[in-house]
Parts: sequence; C-alpha cells; structure tokens
Amino acid sequence: MSLKDLISPFYVWQRAFEKPYTQKRPIEDRPGAPRYRGFHMNSEDCIGCGTCESICQNRAIDMVPVEGLEQRPGDSGLRPRFDYGRCCWCALCVDICTTRSLHLSNHYAWVTEDPDAFHFTAGTDPMPWNENSLGYRRDDDYHLLVHDRIEMEMLGPDESVRGFDEVMKGYTEEQAVLEADRCVECGICVATCPAHMSVPDYIRSVRKRDYETGLRLLYETNPFSSTCGRICTHRCETVCVMGYQGDPIAIRFLKRAIVDRVPAERYREILGDDVSDNGRTVGVIGAGPGGMSAAYYLRRLGYGVTVYEAQARAGGMLRYGVPSYRLPDDQLDKDIDYIRSLGVEVRFNTLVGRDVTFQSLLDTHDAVFLAVGLNQPSALRINGEEHPRVLSGLKVLDDVANGLDPGIGRKVAVIGGGNVAMDAARVSRRMGAEVTVLYRRRIEDMPADPDEIHESQAEGCTLVAQAIPVEIKPAASEAQVTIVWGEAEMVADDKGGRPRPVLQEDRMHEETYDCVIAAIGQGGQIDFIPSDYREQIEFKWNKFVPGDYQQTGLAKLFVGGDIANSRADAISAIEDGHHAARGIHRFLGGSADA
Amino acid sequence: MSTATDLLERFGTNYRISEVNEQKADLTFFKVPKDQAVRLLRELRDDAGYTHLAFLTNIDYIERGIFTLNYMLHNYDTRHTLGMHVDLDRDNAEMESIHNMWAQAATYQRELREMYGIRFPGSPRLDDDFCLEGWDQIPPMRKEFDTAAFSLARFYSRDGRGTEDPREHMKQQLYPTHTDDAPEGGN
Repeated sequence: MSLKDLISPFYVWQRAFEKPYTQKRPIEDRPGAPRYRGFHMNSEDCIGCGTCESICQNRAIDMVPVEGLEQRPGDSGLRPRFDYGRCCWCALCVDICTTRSLHLSNHYAWVTEDPDAFHFTAGTDPMPWNENSLGYRRDDDYHLLVHDRIEMEMLGPDESVRGFDEVMKGYTEEQAVLEADRCVECGICVATCPAHMSVPDYIRSVRKRDYETGLRLLYETNPFSSTCGRICTHRCETVCVMGYQGDPIAIRFLKRAIVDRVPAERYREILGDDVSDNGRTVGVIGAGPGGMSAAYYLRRLGYGVTVYEAQARAGGMLRYGVPSYRLPDDQLDKDIDYIRSLGVEVRFNTLVGRDVTFQSLLDTHDAVFLAVGLNQPSALRINGEEHPRVLSGLKVLDDVANGLDPGIGRKVAVIGGGNVAMDAARVSRRMGAEVTVLYRRRIEDMPADPDEIHESQAEGCTLVAQAIPVEIKPAASEAQVTIVWGEAEMVADDKGGRPRPVLQEDRMHEETYDCVIAAIGQGGQIDFIPSDYREQIEFKWNKFVPGDYQQTGLAKLFVGGDIANSRADAISAIEDGHHAARGIHRFLGGSADA
Repeated sequence: MSTATDLLERFGTNYRISEVNEQKADLTFFKVPKDQAVRLLRELRDDAGYTHLAFLTNIDYIERGIFTLNYMLHNYDTRHTLGMHVDLDRDNAEMESIHNMWAQAATYQRELREMYGIRFPGSPRLDDDFCLEGWDQIPPMRKEFDTAAFSLARFYSRDGRGTEDPREHMKQQLYPTHTDDAPEGGN
C-alpha cells in the first residue's frame, strides 16, 4: 500500500466545502413527460367493475367501498385502491378500463417517511395530481377489449314479413364463443337482472362449450331460459360495461346459445329429477311465467303444485301475447314441458271465480300464489271507441296465437308504443295489411323494445310519433272506421317529469282504416277475490302491492307477475315466482334456501 | 416500389421470404425460415448495407405454439430499418447464435435465454444471470408464467389490503334476500 492510498480518502473532504453538483429538490423543476406513466387518476365515469383489479398482474389493486358513494344498478359503488408497494406502472389497468375513467398522471414524485402511506383510492382520495391533465391515456386506436357485438343471422324484412318463422336465427357455436369471449366477467349486470341470474358464470360456460353446467346455472334462477333467451327485455344489457365504449354483450342471446344446444330429452338427466314430496300443496293461479316459475321452484322443494289456468294452454302472455316469429311455440313448450314433467299439475280451462272459487283454493292448499297477469285491454278513453272496427291488440295477438283470423282487413292503424302495439303491427304486416302506428310521444319514448321498433319499421310499418287520437267515427262503409288524430308538441314538464305531448288543435288529421287496433296498455282482473279478503290486501292503481317475499296481508296469499310489479315483463314475473316460492317455504316453516 | 421491397424480392430467389409488411417508408418487416435466417442476416450485413443490429427480441405466440424472434437491422446509408421475423418451436426453442457477427448480440441472447428460455448454443456467458439474480421459476416472459400468482406468493401484502367482489357487494347491498343463500329472517 502506498502513501497515496492512505492519504487520498482525505482529499474527498475538501469537497465538503464546495457547492454540491446535485440539486436539492430537482423534482420540483422537472415535470414528467406529457405521456409519462405517473400516479393513477380515476374520473367520475368509473362504475367499479373491477376489471382493472382482474388484469393487474401484481395484485396491486383492491376494489373498496368509498364513503358517500352509493351503489346503484350499473355501479358497484366500489373504487380501485392502489398499493404502490406492488404497482409496476405497466398501465394494463388503464388500457383495459371499460369506461376509460382510469388514467395515469405525469406526476411521479411522492415523498413521505411512512412506507405504508403509498396506498390510496384513485379519484376519490384527495391526491395532489387529481387535476393533472397530462400523463398516460390509452390511445384511441389501441384496444384490449372487443367492442363490436358478433352479429346474429336474422331473416331479412322481405322474408320475415311473409310468415311467422322465427326472425332471429341464434348464434352458431363459434359465434357464441366469440361473443362470450368479449365478456369481462365483472358481474355488474347481475344486480340489474330482475332474476339476478348468474350471467358471468353462464357466459363462461358458453366460452367453455360446457352447456350442461350452463343449463344448471340458468335453472338456478330461471326456468324459462329458452323463452328468455329470445324475448327477455334484457335490462342486464343496459348496464353492461362493454356498452360504454362499444356494444353490450348479447347476454340474452348467449342464454339462448346454451338452451339451443341442449335437447329437451336431456333436461331431466342434467338438471336432476329427484323431486321428493313434503306432503304440503300450493295452488297457483295462472300458468304464465310467474305462476310456472313459482310452480317449478316449489316443486323442487317438494310441494305438490296445482296450477289453475283459464286458457287451454300454458304460457300466459308468452303464449298469447308474444307472436311466434319472436318466440316459437315449441321453444315455450320446451320450458313448460320440463316444469310439468316434474309433477306440476296444470288444470287447463279452469277460470278461478267461474270453475273453482278462490275460497276453495285457500281451503285446499297450504298457500296460494296468484299471478294472473294483465289481460284486460285499457280503454282509449275517446269518443266512439266502442265502434266494432276498433279491436284490441291483445285480442288480435290472441286470435293469431290460436290460429284464428282476427279479421283486420288491408289497412290498419295501431295505437300505442309498447311491445303489444309493435307485435300487433308486425302481425298485421304478416297478414298482408298496410300498417300505421300512432304514438303520442316521440319514438325514443316508446316503451317497446328498441329491436322491435327497429324491426317493425324494417318490415314496413309506418310509425307516426307525436300523434294523439281524438275521436273514432263511423266510416262510409260499415267494414271501416275513421280515426281523428292531432299532432302533438312535446312540452317540458315544470315538475321535472318527462316531456308531455300537447295536442295542436290546428293540426288535425282524419283517416279511414279497415280497423283500428288499440294497444295502449292492459289492466288486471281480480274480481274473483271476495271483497272481505280484498280489504286485507294492499292495492295501488289496481295492482297488488306485495310485502316481503311477495306475501300479501292475507297471509296464505302470495302474488307476483305483471299484476304485482311495475316492470311487467317476463323476467320480473319469473323472479316474483321464485321469490314467492322462497317466501312460501319460509311461511310454511322451511328455511329461506329455495 | 421501395428499394427495400425490391431488395427482398431479389433475395427471394434464394430465400423463402414471406409476410413482407412495409409498415412505414423506413421500416419493413418480413419473415424467413429458421434454417435460412443467419445466412440471410450475413448477406444483409455484408452485401446490402444493413450493418447495424439495432436490437434482437422475441414475441411469445403461446396460442400458436411458437416464439417469433425479431432481428432489427439498420442501414445507415439509406436510413432504412428491416425487421426480420423467425419462428421457433416454442417447446424446443433453440437458435443459431450471431455473436460472431455482432458482439452485442451475445447480450441480447443472454437476455432471451433468461426471459424466455431460448437457447443459443455457443453464445458467451449464455447461462449467467442477466438481470434476474437467483431466479428459481420458469422464464418470466413466457406467457404461461403466472405473474399474479408469483406476486402473491412471493411478496407479503401490506396492512390494510382487502378487496370486495363487485357482484357480491351489490348483492349484499341491493338485494340481500333475493338469493337462495339469504340470511334467516332477514329481508
């Protein structure tokens, strides 16, 4: 060792008195590059789907509730919380974000002496970079998600209008797998589905081509899966996270993709038919989706079930209100036949109040589930509507379903904007009529399924929006009828409701048709319930207001379906039936596990 | 037609060149079979002016069972870059070394050996640790490597961690009784 080696370390000390080259706080003068991958930001567009958490390869993200943030349909109320002890700023979370709410700011300096501090909920915790406008964002042309729905083959309007063949052809297996592959399995849709079906799980079974598991999953919550795979109102799709940047997953049609691949003969083997008898019985009024759903779940719990049905066939509005080009009879039969095969007895042509009394049902059974639906067409409430050429939409659909000629003629006006109106219009087109639909509000206000509106137009129905019927008058010929209607202007509602149509009396029209089909809604008919019982039951606007588990003030009576909910669709009726089955089981001393 | 495409067409008489993609005016990709790759690289370097190996990397196409090596060559005279793709069998990934043609290739090859497990026989210090000291797992850039599982197993979780499933959370908050596993007596 030389002398120099001994002395040189001390030379360093002279530096102690010089101005340092390093800057004390360089970070303040050095902003990140415009697209720097700095700290996370999350906008109000976040709906807490958790896809960021799923893709994070470092498990750096937790989904956590945030105080003051309510969960609601379409928003889980959870938000991503980042652990910067694990994050590697790969930005996969940003690239996959379904709502594009997640970004990286170009802020990159966070100095603290507490090593556990680097843990925060992006967007809701007050971080200094929350207002940062620079940093990494996903490029517009870079997509990890597939935004376009796989198209389904359907009959063209020229072909569909010629008959009652099913319009939607269903997915091929390959198409279904591709569509299922688009799903991120967040499960946001499950809360919105009235029956809370296990949507992500059965979509996964489509992806795996495992239709037996798929069918079992469907039947956990919905014994009308063939039906709902075709005509469900698919509220789930309105909240699907894939809808934020592209098309929502075709959840409804993926349900159909499962049932289309399982033949009816295999249902009992796959779903199990080991139904026991617990010695108690339940009477069900109405063999529609609500009644048959209750019957299915009650039967599975061991109850003897008798369904009282006024018509000659089961299915209710699905049978008589939904035309076969949307729901072929054999598909409805597939669902109903399986339920009946478990030992559910259906007494057809048995109208409660005429053929059996309500009291006798209460006496015979341990509980009664009532789901009679809405089958009384609402009146137009205009002068002259009792004209014989004014038909009800329900009657027209009913006749067609029963193979009868509704006698509509060649030139038809349909009044209304719901699915019954659309179906009446499309059925009339199929019978060769020229069809005009009059609706009092705008087309976008129509309660009908948008697909139905679109397809009715494609099939040649003329939709006249903002048209208010004013009067029905006899025409020159007895086989015709004249309708007077006026144009409407939409006027904003002062009370914050939806805009109201206001009749413009200077713009009136008069037109003569072979018939006018009224389809502006339906009401229920419950006169068969004795009045002293009715006093014990809560009603609002002629509908039941059920309590917990669909139970009424008359303890043995449970209600559901269109006559007991405001949604008035098949899937809500199905859930009412399932929920009432749970309720009846609790009421009769079983547990809630139904 | 650009000179690069002309060039590849000329080489095409001796090499099985495919998937020519003129991505930009100064960047062209193409594919060549493994057994012709190094011979072509040498010809591109010595006769066509592509003297610089800009980098060598790899793409894992696990669904197709292949790795695709990507040799990026640059020509300083024309300022043009060629990307040469070479498919390898993913389960038996081995490639001729080019460290004798470009010294820096040895470093890239060492990296590819560590990250994907691709062998380059004869390449210097090929099996030495590159940046993963003490790595005891399968090569981490192979797509079958489960990064998330590794992360969970290897690193402890900070206090205060805990996550909720959106679907389950909404069920508890919005419809607790509308399920078959509803709590007794609740609604």
